[in-house]
Amino acid sequence: MFRKFYLLFGFLTLATAAYGEYRGWSLDSTTQIKNVPRSVRDNPGSYRAIYVGYHHYTGGK
Amino acid sequence: MSAGTPPLSTPSKPQAKGLNCPKCGAAITLRTFGQAETVVCGSCHSILDAKDPNLAILQQFDAATRISKPLIPLGTRGKLRGTDYEVIGFQRRHSKIEGITYYWHEYLLFNPYKGFRYLSEYNGHWNDISVCKQLPVVEFAAANYLGEVYKHFQSSDANTDFVLGEFPWQVRVGEHAVVTDFVHPPRVLSSEKMDKEVTWSIGEYMYGREIWEIFKLPGAPPEAIGVYENQPSPVTTNVRDIWIAFAAFVFLLLLLMAGFDMLAKKDPVFDQTYTFNRALAKGEQSFVTDVFELTGRTSDVEIKTSAPVDNHWIYVNYALINQDTEHAWDLGREVSYYHGYDSDGHWSEGKQSDTVVISSVPSGHYFLRIEPEVDPLVPVISYTVEIRRDVPVFGIYGLAFLALLVPALIISWRAYVFERSRWSESDHPPMDFSNLSGNSEDA
Amino acid sequence: MTQPFANCPNCGAKIVFRWSSSVQTVCEYCKSILVRTDVDLKKVGQVADLPPDSSPIQVNTEGMYRNKSFVVVGRILYEYDQGGWNEWHVMMNDGKSAWLSDAQNEYAISFSANAQNLPAASRVQVGQQFTWSNERYTVSVITPAHYRGVEGELPFQYWDKTDVTFVDLRTESGKFATLDYSDPEPVLYLGEFVEFDDLKLKNLRSFEGW
Repeated sequence: MFRKFYLLFGFLTLATAAYGEYRGWSLDSTTQIKNVPRSVRDNPGSYRAIYVGYHHYTGGK
Repeated sequence: MSAGTPPLSTPSKPQAKGLNCPKCGAAITLRTFGQAETVVCGSCHSILDAKDPNLAILQQFDAATRISKPLIPLGTRGKLRGTDYEVIGFQRRHSKIEGITYYWHEYLLFNPYKGFRYLSEYNGHWNDISVCKQLPVVEFAAANYLGEVYKHFQSSDANTDFVLGEFPWQVRVGEHAVVTDFVHPPRVLSSEKMDKEVTWSIGEYMYGREIWEIFKLPGAPPEAIGVYENQPSPVTTNVRDIWIAFAAFVFLLLLLMAGFDMLAKKDPVFDQTYTFNRALAKGEQSFVTDVFELTGRTSDVEIKTSAPVDNHWIYVNYALINQDTEHAWDLGREVSYYHGYDSDGHWSEGKQSDTVVISSVPSGHYFLRIEPEVDPLVPVISYTVEIRRDVPVFGIYGLAFLALLVPALIISWRAYVFERSRWSESDHPPMDFSNLSGNSEDA
Repeated sequence: MTQPFANCPNCGAKIVFRWSSSVQTVCEYCKSILVRTDVDLKKVGQVADLPPDSSPIQVNTEGMYRNKSFVVVGRILYEYDQGGWNEWHVMMNDGKSAWLSDAQNEYAISFSANAQNLPAASRVQVGQQFTWSNERYTVSVITPAHYRGVEGELPFQYWDKTDVTFVDLRTESGKFATLDYSDPEPVLYLGEFVEFDDLKLKNLRSFEGW
C-alpha cells in the first residue's frame, strides 16, 4: 500500500518539477511590483521599490 | 489370541450431579448463580451452605484454575486453514532469562481427522504451530527447512507451571524442556528437547484480531507489545521496492533534465558593460537601460553581473520593468571576491560574478533600472550586465531529488528500527553504540 | 469430540461439558446447573488429561498408498508413560502386509525391512544416525511401551505385557523408520510420513459433533 503512495508521490514530484521548469520557476526570490509609472524612464531616481499601493504619480524628486 | 489381553475400552462416562438447594430441593438454575461466593436458591431464597459437596467442587475448581485464564476458553471451536478445530488443552510456561521471568501460553487445537495444532501467545503475539514431519538441517547458527534459511534467535529453558485439559502427552507442572528458536519471519522453527525426545515444530505468526475472528471471541485481543521474534515487518518488504522505484524516478528525472536542457532557448537578449566612477557620479547613480524584448512563452530570465572585484564588493540594485504592463521585478545582487594567504595556505571567498534567475516573466518589452553601489575603497570599476531568456533551473531538480529520497530514507529507517527491536530480545542483540566506549579497562 | 457428555440427572436430557476436566455445565432444557463429581480436582491445573483413543481409522477402513489400495484389518494400541499410539495393520492389494501408524493424528506407513547389524536396544541414543537404503536416519525418540489392546487380524500370535523398546527415526526428507525390540531379534520397519488427505481414506470412524 505504501508502494502505491510512493509511486503517486514520485509522479507528482516529477510532474511538478517539469511544470516548474516549463514555466521558468526559480529558487531565487525577487519582489514583484505593480504599477511602476512610466516616468521612471525619464527620471530613474524617482523609482522607489515600494510602489505597491501607489496608483498615481505622486510627484517626486 | 492369548486370554488376558485387555480389550480396548471406551472411556467412562462422566458422573454429574445437579446443584440442588438443600432446603427445598429445587434445582439451582442459571439465573441465580453468578460468580458470587455465596449462592442463593431462586425458590426459597436460602443461602447454599458452602459445605455443600457440589458447591465445594465448584469452588475448589475455581481456586485451582484461577492462576491463568485461557484467552480462548477450552471447548471453543474455530476454523483454521480450512479445518475446524476445538481447543482442548491449555498450558502456561515460563523461561527465566537474566533474572526476568517471561510467561507465555500454549493452546492445543484438535480435529479428529486432521489431528493436533498449537497456538502460542506471548505479549499479544500469536503463532500457529504444527509438528514438522521432516527434520530441519542445522548448521552453526542457522537451520534449513523446506528451502528456507532460519536464523538462530534464542535458546532457553521452558518450564510448565499450569496446565488445563488434554495434551497428547501427559504434561505436568514442573515439566522442563530446552527450547531453541530459529526465525525466518513470519515463520519460526523451534526444537524442543525433553529428556530423550527432540521435536521440531514450525510456526507462523498470527495477529490477535485474526484469532478473535476465528474463534468469534468477544471484546478485543490484547495489544501486541514490542516486536516478536517472527513478527512480519510491515515495512521490510517495501524497502527494496521503494529503492527500485527511487532509482527509476531518478532516471526519469535525469531524462527530464536532459529534455528541458534541450528545450531551453538560453537566448542572450542583453549584454552591456558600464563603468562606475565615484568622482563623476555626484549623487544619483541610477539609470535605465535601453528597451529589449523577451520572447516566447512565459519563462525565466537570468541576470548575470560580472565585475573585476579584488578584495572588494559591488552591489547592484536591479528593477526589471515591463514597459507596457508597468509590472516590475525588484532585486539586488552583490558581487564580491576576497582572497589571501594565511597559516593554511591560500584562501578565497566569493566570485567575480553573480547570477540570479527571475521566475515566470511573461514575454514583452522590458528595460532595466540599475542603481549600483560600490565599496567605498574603490573609486572606479566597470561591471557587465548580461541577460539570458529561458534558462534551465537546476535547483528544481535538486529539490525533486530530495523529495524522492526522503520517503525512501524514512521507510529504510523504520525497517531498520523494527529489526533492531526484534533482535534486541534475542540471544544476539544488536550492538548498543553507547556501550562502545569506556569498556576496555580490563587489563 | 473430546467433550464428555452425560445425561442430566434432573430431566434426562443430554448435557455436555466443554472440556475434559470442566466441572460445570448447564442443562439446555431444564436450565439446572450440573456439577461433575468424578474429576480428580487435585490434578486440575497440575497434570494434563490424555485424550481418549481417538484415531479416525477403524478396521475395514480403506485407503490408497502410492497408487495401491489397502484395507485395514487389525490394530495394536500401544501405551507408554506419556500417552499412546495406534499401529493399524493393513493389507495392500498386492498381498503385502504393512503398518499404518497413527500417533496423535500423525500418520506414517511402513514396511518391515531386512537389515543386518541392527544395534541392541541399550546401545541406541537420541541423535544417533544410521544409513539404510541410501538414506540417513536420525534417532528422534526412544520409547519404552507396552500393549494396551489389540483388535482384528495381526501377523503374530504371542505377546506379553512387559515394556518393550521402540526407537523412532526420521530423515530430512520425511522418511520414517522404527526399530522394534518386541522380539529377541530387533526388527526394522522403513517407511514415510503421509498426509491424511493423501491416504484418501474411506469408511472412517464417525465422531459425534464432527
